Amino acid sequence: MFSSAPQSTSTPAAGTPGTGTRLALADDLLALLRTTTTEPRPDEKLEALTLAVAADLPVLLWGEPGIGKTAALTQLATSLDLPLTTVIASVHEPSDFSGLPVVGDDPAVRGVPMAPPQWAVELVRAGRGLLFLDELSTATPAVQAALLRVVLERRVGALQLPSRVRIVAAANPRASAADGWELSPPLANRFVHLHWAHDREVVVRGLGGVWPRAELPRLVSERLPEAVAFARRAVCGFLEARPTLIHRLPGTETRRGGAWPSPRSWEAALTLLAFGRAASVSREVLALLVRGAVGDGPGLELLAHLERMDLPDPESLLAEPVSAELPKRGDLRQAALEAVVAAVGARPERERWEAGWAVLVRALETGAPDLLVAPATALAALRRDDWEVPEAVERLAGVVGLARRADRSVERATAAAEAGRATGTCR
Amino acid sequence: MEKLLTARLHAVKVRPYLADALFALHVVEDRSVPTMAVDAHWRCYVSPGFVDRTPVEELAGVWVHEVSHLLRDHHGRSERYAREHREHGPGERLRRNIAADFEINDDIYGDGLSLPAGAALPSLLRLPDGLLMEEYLRTASMSGVAADLAWLDCGSGADGQDRPWELGPGGAYGLSRQQRDAVRLRVAEGIRGRPGDAPEGWRRWADEAFHPSQPWRQLLGAAVRSAASASGAGEDHSYRRPSRRSAGVPGVLLPSLRRTPPRVCVVIDTSGSVSDAELGSALLEVAAISRAVGGRRDLVSVISCDAAAGVAVPLCRAESIELVGGGGTDLRSGFARALRSRPRPDVIVALTDGQTPWPSVQPPCRTVVGLLPRAARAVDEENSDYTPDTPPPWARVVTIG
Repeated sequence: MFSSAPQSTSTPAAGTPGTGTRLALADDLLALLRTTTTEPRPDEKLEALTLAVAADLPVLLWGEPGIGKTAALTQLATSLDLPLTTVIASVHEPSDFSGLPVVGDDPAVRGVPMAPPQWAVELVRAGRGLLFLDELSTATPAVQAALLRVVLERRVGALQLPSRVRIVAAANPRASAADGWELSPPLANRFVHLHWAHDREVVVRGLGGVWPRAELPRLVSERLPEAVAFARRAVCGFLEARPTLIHRLPGTETRRGGAWPSPRSWEAALTLLAFGRAASVSREVLALLVRGAVGDGPGLELLAHLERMDLPDPESLLAEPVSAELPKRGDLRQAALEAVVAAVGARPERERWEAGWAVLVRALETGAPDLLVAPATALAALRRDDWEVPEAVERLAGVVGLARRADRSVERATAAAEAGRATGTCR
Repeated sequence: MEKLLTARLHAVKVRPYLADALFALHVVEDRSVPTMAVDAHWRCYVSPGFVDRTPVEELAGVWVHEVSHLLRDHHGRSERYAREHREHGPGERLRRNIAADFEINDDIYGDGLSLPAGAALPSLLRLPDGLLMEEYLRTASMSGVAADLAWLDCGSGADGQDRPWELGPGGAYGLSRQQRDAVRLRVAEGIRGRPGDAPEGWRRWADEAFHPSQPWRQLLGAAVRSAASASGAGEDHSYRRPSRRSAGVPGVLLPSLRRTPPRVCVVIDTSGSVSDAELGSALLEVAAISRAVGGRRDLVSVISCDAAAGVAVPLCRAESIELVGGGGTDLRSGFARALRSRPRPDVIVALTDGQTPWPSVQPPCRTVVGLLPRAARAVDEENSDYTPDTPPPWARVVTIG
C-alpha cells in the first residue's frame, strides 16, 4: 500500500501498519508490566474480612483512598467464588439506590413503583455476588441514607437482594479534611468496622512484581457445633461477669462513629467468634473482628476473658497435681496458681490443701520460683491448727529464701531513700 | 538468675499493679547485651555480668524501667516517630531511647524503688518532668547527654530498632500483638480499679492506654461539620425541584442537587482568663471549617461578649470575618443576640472557658461548645469555692487545648 515509513506531515488513518505496530508495541509493554507473580503471605485483615463477609454481617472498611481496598475485595471475591460488583457511591444519585419513582396512570390507586437500577436487577438475576459500595463517605447525605438502606435491609427500591449476595461498604476515615465524615451511633452499631492500612513491605514488593496471596480461612464442618458452644460460653460468661458492658453508648467525642457495645453488636461478636473458631483462625484475627464489632475496650476485655478460659481448670489441677500442665507464660501461670489457691480456700479440706502444695511444687520444678511467693503465702494462710505441714513445703524452702532476700532488698531501698532525704542529697 | 528473680520479686512487692506485666516477661540470658534490654515481643535480654555487679535493689529499678518501656508502647511510638521525622541513624536511635527513658524515669523511682546508677533523668538537660517521649524529642537535642550515656541500650522495646541479639517475632516465648494488648489492658484495669496505689503518671497512662486522645482540632471540626451538614444545610439532593435530566425520562421523578450553605455563628465569651493564642486558633479553625462546608466567606459571623472583644476584634479584621458587635455581658445574651440575627444561623459555636451561666433552654439550632482551658493565674476573687456549671447536655462539647 504505502511505504511503511511514518510520515510526519499527514496523520495516518486508522488501520495503517504504522499505528498498528505502535499500539501493538504499547500493548506488549503493558502486558509485560501486568505480568506479576504472587507469593503466600498471611494477611490478618483479609482473613478478618473474609470471615465477616462469610458471617453475612454488614462490614464497613475504613481506609484512605487508594490503599488497595478494591484489590482486597477482588481477591476475596475470587476466593469465595462470587462475581464482584463495585458501585462508587459518590457518583450516584439517591434514586439509584432507593429506586426511581415512576409515575404511572393512576398513582393514587396503584401507588408509585420504585424502579431498581440495572446492576441490582442483574445481581438478583445472578442470585449471588459480592456488592462493594465504595466511597460511602464522600456521597451526599441523601445518597448515604439510601445506601445504608441497601446495606442494612438489603433492598434496592422494590427489589430484595437474595441472601447469597454479600455486601461490603467502604468509607474514608474522619480526618481533618473538610469533607470528613462520621456515622451516627445507631448506624455505627450495625456494622463490623475494619480499619484498612497499607503495609509498606507489601506495596514495595508488589510494585516489584510480587503480590501477596493470602490463604483465606475455611470453615471446617466437624467443628461447627463445638464452635457455637464455645462462642456462646465465652460471650455469656463474659457478660455475666461484666453486665455494665452489655449496652454502653459512646460517651466521648473521640469514639463517635466507631463500634460500641450493645445487645445487637454482642450478637455480632458472638457470630464472629463462632466463625473464627470454626475456621481455626489466630487470636489476632479474632481480635480484629471482636474489636470491630463491639469497640476496642470491650473487645479487648472479651479477649482477655478468652485467655482466662484457656487456663487449666483448678479442680483438675488439684486432682492430678503431679502431672499438672501449667501455662508457660509467667503471668498466666501465676493466675492459674492463684485460681488453685482460691479453689482450696472455697472448700478448705486437708487433702485439697496438700494437693495445692503439690501443685506449687510442680510449678517450682517447671518454671521461675519468684512468682510462687504470693500463692504460697496465701496457701500457708489457709492452714488449720490440726493440719500437719506436708513434706512438699520443704521443697519450697528456696522460694521462702527468695522472698526474704527480696524483703531485705526493699528495706535497703527504703532506708537508702530515707537517708538520702535526711542528708538532703538528691541524685 | 536467682538474684535477678529476687529483684523481680522486690519490684512486684513495691509495685503490685505491675505484677502481671513483670511476670509476663520472658528472661533470655545473653552476654552480648550491655545491661538489660527488652524487645517488642516482651522478651527481656539480660547480661549475666551486669546482674553480678549490680545490687538487687537497683536491679528491681531496672526491671520496672524495662517493663515500663513495653507498657507504654515505646517500640511502636518510636517506629512512628522515626518514620514521620525520617530519623533512622544510630544517633537518632539513642535520642529516642533517652527520650523514652526520660518519660519513664521522672516518676517511677522512690517509694521503695531506688534509682539505678546512671539512669537518664530530664533534669540532666534541665528539662521539665512529666512530658511524653515525643515532646522531649521535639524540644531537646539530647546532645549533652549522649556522650556519657552512649552505653545505654534498652533494646528495640524502647526505640523500635532491632538488635543483633534479639530473637525476632518468630522466636520462642514471644507475645503476639493481641497478647501484649491483653497484658496492657489487665495492668491498666488494675490501676484504674485501685487508683490510690499508683503514682500520677501511671494513672494517666491507664486512662489513656486504650482511649487515645484525639487532637481537639479534629474533634471540633467534626462537631461543627456534622452540625452544619445536617439536613437542610450543605449540599444535598432534594425532590423540591425536578432534576434537569427529567425531561429525558418522562414519567420518572429525579431529584436535583441543591446547595443551601450553612450559616455558622461563633459566640465568644471568655472572662479574660484564656490564653489569646488558643482562643485565636479555635476561632480560625471554626471559620476555616465553616468555609469548607459552605464555601462562602459571608456565612460565618462572630459575636463577642464584652470581655472577649479585645481578642476577637483584631482577629476578625485580619481574617475579614464579619464581627457582629458586642453580644452583651454573658453567654446567654450572646446566644439571644445570635438567634435574633436574620437569617437565623444553622449552627452556633460557643467558645468559652465555662465560667459563665448557660442558656436555660435549648436554642432552636445545633450548638457546639468549645471549652477553653483557664489559665492558672485566674482565680475567682469573690468566691474561692465557686464551681462553674457544666455545659448543658444538648450541646456537643469539645475540650480545647
